[in-house]
Amino acid sequence: MQSKTEHILVVDDEWESPIVGAVIRTLEQEGWRTSVIKPQFSTDGGNDFETETLYAIETIRPSGVLLDVRLGEYREDQFKGLEILHKIVERYPHTPVLMFTQYTQGPERDTAVRSSLQLDSSVDFIDKLASPQEVILRLRRLIGRPPTYIVMGDKIILDVDASLVQIKHGDDLETVNDIQGMKFEIFRELASTWYKSPGQLVPFSKLERYSDGEEARASLRVRIREIKISLGNALGVKFGAGDFIINVRDQGYRLVPPKTFDNQ
Amino acid sequence: MIRIVSTVAGAVTCLVGVILILSTPILGIRVSDNLWAVEPVSYIATGIIIFGLVIITFTYIISGLSRRETPENNSGDDILSTWANLTQQYFELFQHDLGRPLRRILGKEREVRATIDLSNQEVYGDVLELLDEIEGQAPNFRLMMSNVQVLIEMETPAEDLVLEPVEPLEIVRRIVDRYTFAASDGNKEITWWSDPDDFGIVYCGASAIEHIITNVVDNAVRFAGKRIEIKLVREGTEFSIHVWDDGLGIPEEYRNHIFDRGWTPELAKREERTTSGLGMFIAKTLSQRYGGDLSIESLVGDGVKHYTEFTLTLPIREYVS
Repeated sequence: MQSKTEHILVVDDEWESPIVGAVIRTLEQEGWRTSVIKPQFSTDGGNDFETETLYAIETIRPSGVLLDVRLGEYREDQFKGLEILHKIVERYPHTPVLMFTQYTQGPERDTAVRSSLQLDSSVDFIDKLASPQEVILRLRRLIGRPPTYIVMGDKIILDVDASLVQIKHGDDLETVNDIQGMKFEIFRELASTWYKSPGQLVPFSKLERYSDGEEARASLRVRIREIKISLGNALGVKFGAGDFIINVRDQGYRLVPPKTFDNQ
Repeated sequence: MIRIVSTVAGAVTCLVGVILILSTPILGIRVSDNLWAVEPVSYIATGIIIFGLVIITFTYIISGLSRRETPENNSGDDILSTWANLTQQYFELFQHDLGRPLRRILGKEREVRATIDLSNQEVYGDVLELLDEIEGQAPNFRLMMSNVQVLIEMETPAEDLVLEPVEPLEIVRRIVDRYTFAASDGNKEITWWSDPDDFGIVYCGASAIEHIITNVVDNAVRFAGKRIEIKLVREGTEFSIHVWDDGLGIPEEYRNHIFDRGWTPELAKREERTTSGLGMFIAKTLSQRYGGDLSIESLVGDGVKHYTEFTLTLPIREYVS
């Protein structure tokens, strides 16, 4: 439900391994579709992967590709993924590719990156021990499209297209009617930043354009308090100064969605 | 060429000496029936042979010395560089071999966690603790591996620094991605921002900045009470990255040693070490290598006022093609 169904193509010779399985599972929990390249014959080293990957990109046009650097056990397969990357960048320059690798640092990785990339290509590297959530964050930014839905905690849903904030009660959705207009824009700005980069603060300068009057900051403070009260009422909780939307050291605001709202 | 000519000259001289010795019975005057070998011609012949051998020996000594002084030959730096390359290759192999079982363990842990989440069944606290421990150790392992990698690079003979266009904001974002979930599991929050909002590009070493800040953030997440704040500042000809945490602070006597190689607080207390003590040493050395510095400021527990702040300062260089 997070966003309009993104489709991720997974290319990894260890596609049956638990570590890749965990990533695929998290992608699907995100509401994204996945297609996994499973060559029928694995006798030809990484070449089977190359043929099938390019064919899959041509036919399914994925939103992004998760591509292993090493495809196969032989030394010549060590950077096979980079050869495939080179071809993807050449033929489909707008397809984001996240390289799944153990060489995130070191001279070999640097050489590989420099030799494979064009300046404007959407390519990034992440190491295989990264958490699945880290992979998701990196893919969200690589794909770059704003999400149509953002789910915060286990109850708050922000419907970007319909400009609505909804609360999940079991299978039912309740719309929070008080959060509209500029208040919705402020909340959307905070939620979108959190969605792509949790921890990043939204500076006052960005939020104050949704405030009016001479005292823009005071007006913003009032609107933020109203958002917290409206959401708190809908959820049956009371948000304190250090909950949910936090003012950081006179710099700006930051969204911190609780994992669950039961204990507020 | 000179070496060949002198060697041949030495060899010919020796040969003349040998021929002279062999012809002593014909040329020389016999002193008695058994003493022809020590008559004067044989003395002269022996002298000629020794002279020939001296020529050959000197030729080889001098040519050996001049070869060592020629840079394109096997110099001391070359030996170091070959050694560093070998270590690097060995380490990459080691990293791959060690990484495989670790990925399996981590993958299995995530599989078990997903099964538990789906089943909605009560699970022993110890099991969850074990799963948390495995997941929590993953960032440590990643950092340890890259610390060793950087240490090997630092041991290689110094080369000119390669400056590349770097987006420090993007580097910080990735580091926060990596630590935000681990911090959240320990009820700690990481907040970060940049001043100005659009930080832009600097010319520096991306890996170096990433490495320094990862070590500092890892430290902050470990010792913070609840909050970690990261701030990027671009001002004039410098930029800085501040990593602040609300931990109990570091006493002055420890602050003086925090960047020493292999030093950990446990070392001073004669306790078992929990870290290698390399991270901060590497971070400081790297920052100085790029013409900057890594400094520390800390206030030790005084009611609510206690914190530690590391500041990395680096010059904003111009691009040189």
